[in-house]
Amino acid sequence: MNVIETNALGKRYRRKWALRACTLGVPGGHIVALVGPNGAGKTTLLTIAVGLTRPTEGTVTVLGGEPAGSPEALDRIAFVAQDAPLYRNLPVAAMLHVSRNLNKTWDQRRAEDRLERLEIPLSQKVGELSGGQKAQLALTIALARRPTLLVLDEPLASLDPVARDDFMASVVAAAQEDAISVVLSSHVLAELERVATYLIVLTRGQVQVAGTVRELLASHGAGLEEIALRYLRAGVPSLSRTEGAA
Amino acid sequence: MISSPPAAQPGTAIRRRPIPWARLAWVTLRQRRCTVIGAAIVLGAFAVYLLIMGVIQNNAYAAIAACHPAQAVKCQQLVESFRSYWGGGGRVIQSGGAQTVSSLLFAVPVLLGAFVGAPLLAREFESGTFRFAWTQGAGRTRWAVSTLVLPAVLLTTVTGAFTVLFYWYFRPFLAIGQVSEMLPLAFALLGVAFAAWTLFAFALAAFTGTLFRRTVPAMAVTLVVYIALAIGTATVIRPHYMTPVTERGWNESPSSGWILSSWVKAPDGQIISPGDLPSVLVHAPASVANSPDPNAFNDWLAQHGYTMWQSVQPASRFWQFQLIEGGWLLVVSALFIAGAVWLVRRRGA
Repeated sequence: MNVIETNALGKRYRRKWALRACTLGVPGGHIVALVGPNGAGKTTLLTIAVGLTRPTEGTVTVLGGEPAGSPEALDRIAFVAQDAPLYRNLPVAAMLHVSRNLNKTWDQRRAEDRLERLEIPLSQKVGELSGGQKAQLALTIALARRPTLLVLDEPLASLDPVARDDFMASVVAAAQEDAISVVLSSHVLAELERVATYLIVLTRGQVQVAGTVRELLASHGAGLEEIALRYLRAGVPSLSRTEGAA
Repeated sequence: MISSPPAAQPGTAIRRRPIPWARLAWVTLRQRRCTVIGAAIVLGAFAVYLLIMGVIQNNAYAAIAACHPAQAVKCQQLVESFRSYWGGGGRVIQSGGAQTVSSLLFAVPVLLGAFVGAPLLAREFESGTFRFAWTQGAGRTRWAVSTLVLPAVLLTTVTGAFTVLFYWYFRPFLAIGQVSEMLPLAFALLGVAFAAWTLFAFALAAFTGTLFRRTVPAMAVTLVVYIALAIGTATVIRPHYMTPVTERGWNESPSSGWILSSWVKAPDGQIISPGDLPSVLVHAPASVANSPDPNAFNDWLAQHGYTMWQSVQPASRFWQFQLIEGGWLLVVSALFIAGAVWLVRRRGA
């Protein structure tokens, strides 16, 4: 089952195409790294997949054929947007309560256990949490929804190195524990290299390469970062092109 | 590839049922706890004032109501002192200051509506939390309906109840004929108008907040549009709800209703506006023109075949007018709220 499948997907903001002719199948059961430079269309692709943005052209389905943004898709996909937007004026406990009331599936005990392990007090205001704590709270809420697919947009961008490491460890643990598919985007591959099992390189709104990390490593005979860099260069015309971007 | 996710199979029917409205309502209210408290304090402060003054004034009025016969000098003096003591402007603390309080209350619908309505969706856009709210299982449409409709219903109900209190406070002034309930200054605070204008301000602010995605511009636009429409309604639209009654004679007592215009008809059928009467006055003998008695000229006009007329919306039409105004404000508000939901449905991230 493809957790995200797009066909000739395109999104135009005013006159600029953020995404163009994007045809892609993201298989389930992976931790998928969506890598590309800033402005490559990563956020656009993810927000279309979770039903926040409507594409200008092309089609997108999720979870093996559900239309993006349909009630079924909303139920089973948990999305954490960039900078983990949550209600800053609410205490953590109220934030959990709000999330519980907005979802059909909710595992309160799991959320509370996670927060206790992370030493995030329930009485604290969300706005008073550190960047790392806030990201962990957003992840906790996403996981308490017991999703089939977890989508994280630039989850590490605003975190310090220790918080990044902790966060990625949490994601990997959750993915293995619940057998959920994870798609996360980043403009820095190094952060995802150790955990990703599937790589998609996106530049200038188009997919440069997509494949399992194992296959890519076998076929290219190079480190993942080197492979990604080669494809990232391929999408940037000002730099020397390398073969293999077909 | 045939395998479907395990959770979907047994619980499909349960999953399909949408989130109950009560749970969405809880979310809406919990997020706006501060707004609810703020609005309650503003209306509560006015309510306490109206309650205290209402008790005092209604007691004072009881003496007038008990005075018989009403035409007696003694009774007229009671009315006069009540009018000057409680009805005046300025002295809010020492005396009733009903005019001052009424003019303050005039600002309540737009302020309440703008402060409650504008941030509802604009804050979600400003802080980016719409990306959270719209990707939860409830779905953005149900979320938007709850976010907009619940505060609208609450505001309308509370301001409607507030009008009942205000009417009880204001009743003596209507009873002694100090003011007609049809006059613009009283009309908007009585009946269903107060609640309807609050709902309108709220819906306008919520819509512009969704459109601009910014709280402050939405409040500013709401303020400007509201003031323009409120003045336009009182001066241009409201007089035309029903065809005015044309009455012979100038009766300026408030009990006659809302006098829209008055004029004098000359013996040859010519219409003379009150402003042009000095041109008629020059034809009157000096004894009339220079008379200290204001009725002298009127009597002279009547003797020479001039007739006085006025165009009036009678006080008996009060509730019809209230329902007409409440009706169209309700329709416009519903359109604004529907428009905001429509914007949420079609808006991308």
